[in-house]
Amino acid sequence: MSLDPSGEGIAAEGVWARIAHLAEGRPFTMALVCRAALGAVGVDGAAVTVAAGTDARDVLHASDTVAAELEEWQITYGEGPGVDALEGGGSTLVADLGEHHCALRWPVFTPAALGSGAKALFALPLQVGVIRLGVLDLYRAEAGGLGARLAEALDYADAATALLLDGVDATHPDSDPHQAHVHQATGMVVVQLGVGAAAAYAALRAHAFAHGRHLGEVAADVVARRLRFDGDQGHDGR
Amino acid sequence: MPMNQTTIAETFVEFADTLTADFDVVDFLHQVAVKCADVLGVAAAGLLLTDQRGALRVVAASSERTRLLELLQLQHDEGPCPESFHTGRPIAVPDLAAETGRWPRFATAATAAGFASVEALPMRLRDTVIGALGLFGTRPGPLDPVTLRLARALGDVATIGIVQARTIQRQEEIAAQLQTALTSRVAIEQAKGVIAERHDLDMDGSFELLRRAARSANRRLSDLARDVVTGEATV
Repeated sequence: MSLDPSGEGIAAEGVWARIAHLAEGRPFTMALVCRAALGAVGVDGAAVTVAAGTDARDVLHASDTVAAELEEWQITYGEGPGVDALEGGGSTLVADLGEHHCALRWPVFTPAALGSGAKALFALPLQVGVIRLGVLDLYRAEAGGLGARLAEALDYADAATALLLDGVDATHPDSDPHQAHVHQATGMVVVQLGVGAAAAYAALRAHAFAHGRHLGEVAADVVARRLRFDGDQGHDGR
Repeated sequence: MPMNQTTIAETFVEFADTLTADFDVVDFLHQVAVKCADVLGVAAAGLLLTDQRGALRVVAASSERTRLLELLQLQHDEGPCPESFHTGRPIAVPDLAAETGRWPRFATAATAAGFASVEALPMRLRDTVIGALGLFGTRPGPLDPVTLRLARALGDVATIGIVQARTIQRQEEIAAQLQTALTSRVAIEQAKGVIAERHDLDMDGSFELLRRAARSANRRLSDLARDVVTGEATV
C-alpha cells in the first residue's frame, strides 16, 4: 500500500476507456461510471447522490439494492459517511463499519447499513472547490480498506464530477497551468452574474465551448479583464 | 545569507505555536512558503502536493502572483519538483538555462519569469513522499549546505502541518488529508476571484485582503474562502 503513484499515469485515460467500452456507443451515463468503478476499484456496489439545493438530495444511480438502501438510509437519517463527505468533510473512508467508533459517529445509519449487508463504505465528494455537486459512495460486503485502489476511486469520482458538469473533455483539467485562472475566473463570474459558483463555472465552460476555445484561455481573459460576462463589453470580447 | 541562528529559532517557534488543534492547512502552508523565501534568501518558494494519481498540484506559494502559480503548476508532470517527488531525492538545478533539453516547457518558462536556479526537495512522511518544495533563485548557483539543511527542516515542518490535523495512522487518511488541502486551495482561488472582481484588485491583493479578513475575524482561511464564494460572508 503506497501513495507512490509510479505507473498510474494512464489511470485517468483508462477510466474513460473503460466507460466507453461499457457504453458501446451509447451516451455516457452515471450508471456506466458506477459500473466501470466496480471492477476497477474492487467494490461490490456504487451509488451517486447529488445535492439539489441546500437540503434536498437526489439519488442519481445505485448499482444494486444494497447501494440503493445505503443512499436511502443516509438521506432519511441525515447521517453517514456520504453525508459527511457531501457536507465538506472530504473523502470519508470506512474500512469496517463494525468498528465501535462508527456506531458513535453515525448511531442510526451504522446498524442500518450493516443490516443491509455493507461492511465497508467509501464516500468521495464530487466537487470543484466550493462547488459541491454530490457524492460517490462505494461499498463492500466484506470489511477492508481501499489501500492503493484509492487512486482509482478518486479517478472515478473525477469522472462522475465531469459527467455532472456535462464535460467529458475534463479528463485531466489539472494538467493545465491555467487551472488557477479557471477557479479565479469562476469567482469573478460569480460576482459579475450574481450567481452561484456552479453556474459561474458552467457559464465559463459554455463560453469556451461556444467559441471553440480552451477553458483556460477564456479564464485567463476573464482574469486579465479582457472578457466580462455581465453586459456590453460583451461575451465576444477577446 | 540573510539569516542567523535567532531567526531560525524564531521561525520554528512560530510554527510550533501555529500547530494548534484548529489551524488551517492551506494558510499554514502559505506561511511556510513565505518563510522559505524569507529565511532561505530565495526569490520564491512553492509547495506542491501529490494528487495521488501521479501528478503534483500547487497548494501554496510565497507570492500569489499568477505568474508564479502558473510556473509552479507547469510542473504538473515536468520539472525539478516532479523529479524530486518521483525519486524522493533533492534535485539541484544551479543553472536553469542549461536545462532546456531536460524540461523544455518548464526551463523556458522559468527563465522567462526571471529565475536562474531551482532547488527541489521531496516532502517525506516516513517512507512516503507526499509532495515537493521548490525554491527559486534569480541568480545561478547552488544553495549552500547550511541553507539546504534549513530548507529540508522547513519542508519537514510543512509535512507535519499536513498530517497534524488528527493523528493519522493509515495511508488512506493521509490521502484524504492531501485531498482536503488541495480542495481548500481551489476554494481559495475561487474566493480570490470574487474579491478581485468586487474590489477591482489583482489576485495578489485579493489574497491579502482575504487573509487579513480571516485574521481579524479569527476564522480559518479556507472556511472564510468557502463562505465568500457561497455568499455567506462578504470580504
